[in-house]
Amino acid sequence: MSDREMTTLQRDGVAVTKERLYRLLLAGCAALTLAVTSGIIIALLGGTVSFFSEVSIVAYLTGTEWSPVINGKFGVLPLLSGTLVITVVSAVVALPIGLSIAVYLSEYATPKVRSVLKPALEILAAIPTVVYGYFALVYVTPFLDDVLPLDFGTFNALSAGVAVGLVIIPMVSSISEDAISSVPDSLRNAAYGLGSTKFDVSTKVVVPAATSGIVSSYVLALSRAIGETMIVVIAAGLSPKMPFFPDVLKNLTNSVQTITSGIVQVAGAENASGVLLNAMFALGMTLFVLTLTMNILAEAVRRRYREEYS
Amino acid sequence: MSEQTETTSSTAAQRPEVNTESSGGQFEGKTVLESRDLDVYYGETQALQDVSLQIPEKQVTAMIGPSGCGKSTFLRCLNRMNDLVDTAHIEGDVFFNGKNIYADDVESVALRRRIGMVFQHPNPFPKTIYDNVAYGLRVQNNEVTDDIIEDSLRRAALWDEVKDQLDTSALDLSGGQQQRLCIARAIAVDPDVILMDEPASALDPIATSKIEDLIEELAEEYTVVIVTHNMQQAARISDKTAVFLTGGELVEFDDTNKIFENPENQRVEDYITGKFG
Amino acid sequence: MAAETDPTFDGGSELRRRKLLGQVFEGVLVASTLVGVLALVALFVLIGNDALGPAEADASWFLLYFVTLVAPTSVYTLLVRRDEVASSINGLSFATVFGSLIGSAVVYVVVDSVRPHDVAIYLVVGSLFPALVLAYNRITGGSHYTGPALPVSILFGLVSARILYPFIIPVISIVADWILFVVVVTGPVAAGLGLFVTSRWSRRYGAVTAVAVLGATLATAGVAITQGIDPALSVVLVSVVAGPVAVVSLDTFKRRETGRYGLLGPWLLIGGIVAGAWLERQLGIEGLETWLTPTLLLNSWSSFRPEQAGIYPQLVGSVLVVGTMAVLSFPVGVGAAIYLEEYAPSTGWRGRLATALDVNISNLAGVPSVVYGLLGLALFQNFFGVAPWLPRALGLKPSLVIAAAATLGLLILPIVIVSSQEALRSVPDELRQGSYGLGASRWQTIRNVVLPEAVPGILTGMILALGRAIGETAPLVIIGVATTTYSAPEGVFGSAAALPLQIFASAANSIPEYRTGVVAAASVILLATMLIMNSTAILIRNRYENN
Ligand SMILES: Nc1ncnc2c1ncn2[C@@H]1O[C@H](COP(=O)(O)OP(=O)(O)O)[C@@H](O)[C@H]1O
Ligand SMILES: [Mg+2]
Repeated sequence: MSDREMTTLQRDGVAVTKERLYRLLLAGCAALTLAVTSGIIIALLGGTVSFFSEVSIVAYLTGTEWSPVINGKFGVLPLLSGTLVITVVSAVVALPIGLSIAVYLSEYATPKVRSVLKPALEILAAIPTVVYGYFALVYVTPFLDDVLPLDFGTFNALSAGVAVGLVIIPMVSSISEDAISSVPDSLRNAAYGLGSTKFDVSTKVVVPAATSGIVSSYVLALSRAIGETMIVVIAAGLSPKMPFFPDVLKNLTNSVQTITSGIVQVAGAENASGVLLNAMFALGMTLFVLTLTMNILAEAVRRRYREEYS
Repeated sequence: MSEQTETTSSTAAQRPEVNTESSGGQFEGKTVLESRDLDVYYGETQALQDVSLQIPEKQVTAMIGPSGCGKSTFLRCLNRMNDLVDTAHIEGDVFFNGKNIYADDVESVALRRRIGMVFQHPNPFPKTIYDNVAYGLRVQNNEVTDDIIEDSLRRAALWDEVKDQLDTSALDLSGGQQQRLCIARAIAVDPDVILMDEPASALDPIATSKIEDLIEELAEEYTVVIVTHNMQQAARISDKTAVFLTGGELVEFDDTNKIFENPENQRVEDYITGKFG
Repeated sequence: MAAETDPTFDGGSELRRRKLLGQVFEGVLVASTLVGVLALVALFVLIGNDALGPAEADASWFLLYFVTLVAPTSVYTLLVRRDEVASSINGLSFATVFGSLIGSAVVYVVVDSVRPHDVAIYLVVGSLFPALVLAYNRITGGSHYTGPALPVSILFGLVSARILYPFIIPVISIVADWILFVVVVTGPVAAGLGLFVTSRWSRRYGAVTAVAVLGATLATAGVAITQGIDPALSVVLVSVVAGPVAVVSLDTFKRRETGRYGLLGPWLLIGGIVAGAWLERQLGIEGLETWLTPTLLLNSWSSFRPEQAGIYPQLVGSVLVVGTMAVLSFPVGVGAAIYLEEYAPSTGWRGRLATALDVNISNLAGVPSVVYGLLGLALFQNFFGVAPWLPRALGLKPSLVIAAAATLGLLILPIVIVSSQEALRSVPDELRQGSYGLGASRWQTIRNVVLPEAVPGILTGMILALGRAIGETAPLVIIGVATTTYSAPEGVFGSAAALPLQIFASAANSIPEYRTGVVAAASVILLATMLIMNSTAILIRNRYENN
């Protein structure tokens, strides 16, 4: 015992250095994520700056023709219009269905049903989008052509938009469900105590109380829809168009091009270089800014609801 | 370890008198751990106020007091477990065998190898019984022998119950057995001091009494510091008792008999007789 | 009740109206949920139908497989489900048999496309130094240096293999491929199984196992040679499938008293299929008109003859790209998660930095995948225009396997980090405290207590990330990986290929057999891979959540 008392309370230096080394390495791994973000911004910024040194920013933002390869026209509006059409269609599909599923899962479904439905929905989100694109092109379009009294092109916005909608349903449903189930039971009980039916409680108490979470899921899902690529490239074709008005339905039956499929088309062009290559990065920047803004917005909205009940 | 580091360490920290006979002369034996003017804060809130206390060697020292009064906090200062709480901030000193454990040259990991700890909820690792006992030896790069494992389990009064199932998961044991395993695990590395934070509060009465017997035996070889909110337990097993009261104040520290029979402080008396707490 | 005494309105009909409304509402909810589920079912059924062509099959075909496959497995499943022990043995058996089958396919295909010599050189020379380190560790009983020395020695080994490569290659080229397969596949497997048996039984049994695996492999190779068949595939099958399956089966059989019949599960399934196929041919029954044929799996692509078209190069490409990605990305992702959960404090500037990193990671998860493609392009084309010479000097181009893998690796990094963080967070703090209380350092605590507990969760996240990466298409298109490929990549620095790219390229092929045949079959393979991965992940999660 007595000689142990004399032993030091230090550890040997090698062990301490080793600990430091590991901490440093692991911190390096974490710091790499910052490098990824910086890399994305530098890559996009570099291409975008070069692009706007050759094409005026006004021409880009207000131009109504996107024909980079053939005519060297770089108006982004047709691509924005295509993106908007796809996003609206997918929203019409996914937002109500996703919310319904969320309400059903959290308020109505038995645990057994939940345990089957939740993995099924996860699968809906896990299917590769290239398969969705193929599915939309080969199966959905002919189906729509059969059941709807419209004349669909081989490539059309509706079937692509519907497929994008399927992809984002699980996003809406899972985030909304989290929000709905975090509504405290005391609120539900209070409403039941006042003689409300389950319907009343769901629609007048629970859903309103979870509004910000639901809105947040909507915004996130739409951001995902805007960034969706393969489905649109495969099923919506590659022809940029300004919106049809007042003949609105034509927007659905025709081929459109989105920002993402614009990027893919340029990437696929034979030896893309110079302004063409840079156009790709300018589109990427547009997409990045758009989706990042929406994601930050969604997070801000979600923060608010977290504070409401906790 | 090298003699070189040893000399630097002994000069680096101030050395108070070891072997202090305390002022009242009531302490026989040597002081192993001593806190001086210890203040602990979690963020802005203060959890311990100005605690000075000397813990004698090879005796059981109990800490009692109402919940939230800082007993665990104090205990965790003694082996620097509070270093792991980001918000914790410590002022004052703690001396271990005369060495300030909050000195810059003290490595908390090395300190904990000398001052072991047993927790409120039995927390065996999800490994075999054998690996649980061997864990401390392995991380300290000490040789693991079957003899050490057996000896530790024997001293924790667990050997007879588990000797045929050393290769099974420690999680299959009952709560009381798990806690004794945690004690075996702590003594396997042969520490000087064992800190126990309410080691029996999660156990049934039979398991509790086994643990209590065990603690009394351990005190023959180790210095034991035990936190308990159970006053009878403190009275039964401890030699010295420290009473903390709300606000993180050490109100009285004396021989256990004295505390329970004739406390000096009125608030301690009220607490012990159950008038508040 | 209260409504009846309420004088102001007719409670009875009001109540009925509200009840009806509630039912309609619930009906709408169920219907919406069904729309989601039906879409999923429709996708699987329509694509599966085109790929497998069950409509062409005779009724007797269905009857045949009902008798040989469906009936026995259903009865067996019902039996096994009642017995918990048998059911867990069954799970283990399935995992071993099918896991090793998939594993053997992957190993064969990768070693074959990367060339057995190269694998042998890198594996043998590369493992020399780590082996020395481990041996030293064994003899001296370990020191502080072994931990850090291991990765360094691996790196060192790989570099020396690269340097020695030109000198070894002429010598090793003389050796037949199948012998190299024995070296790079059978060797490690036999050693691994030997160690496994040693740890569970005894050193003697371990040695016997290792020798048996080696002997069986060589014997099979000998038989194959006398039959004039290339022995390489049989070497892989015997080592990677027969070895582990035999060891696990025997081990379970000896250890368990009850429920041993759980071992039969996979064999009933395989037996049913084989028996069905044999009888189908014997009886001349009209079977499926399927596109999911060996030709599809083993041939190279053809853009004009759908019956000849195969996706072998794409499959190999996907395996190589995703495998390389896993090697590059998983350690970094788990490392980042460990830092953020175990090291980063919650206060001070480091705490704020960690919070910023967390926000950054969740934003990265929302960046569209095309943007990662642009990042990969900028990185490997001309290094952001900053140092265009750099990728070239390193021999990198955006369309190589390694570049594709790195691009996908960055894409899945947030997924891996977030899921690993969740897994680490779910490890009870009491275990950490217990470890620190025994004088373990932070790294020792992480290494010995936290990580082992978090492994199932981390693994789940990794599998899901792999599933995501396998189907990822857009970034690969952006970095310029060829969408149609006729030959498999020749290793990590070869030109990349990937299955989803071929689906993309051929989805709109004007020959209808591609659209509703070959592509459907390729999609089924992709979907099946994804399903297997997801269900494995869900199984692991459920299994460890219950414990
Ligand atoms: N990790 C912590 N962070 C913040 N406050 C804490 C922490 N641990 C304990 N406290 C606070 O410090 C005070 C003393 O706690 P503790 O030492 O656990 O008391 P006891 O063990 O006597 O019940 C309590 O008010 C408690 O809320
Ligand atoms: Mg406490």
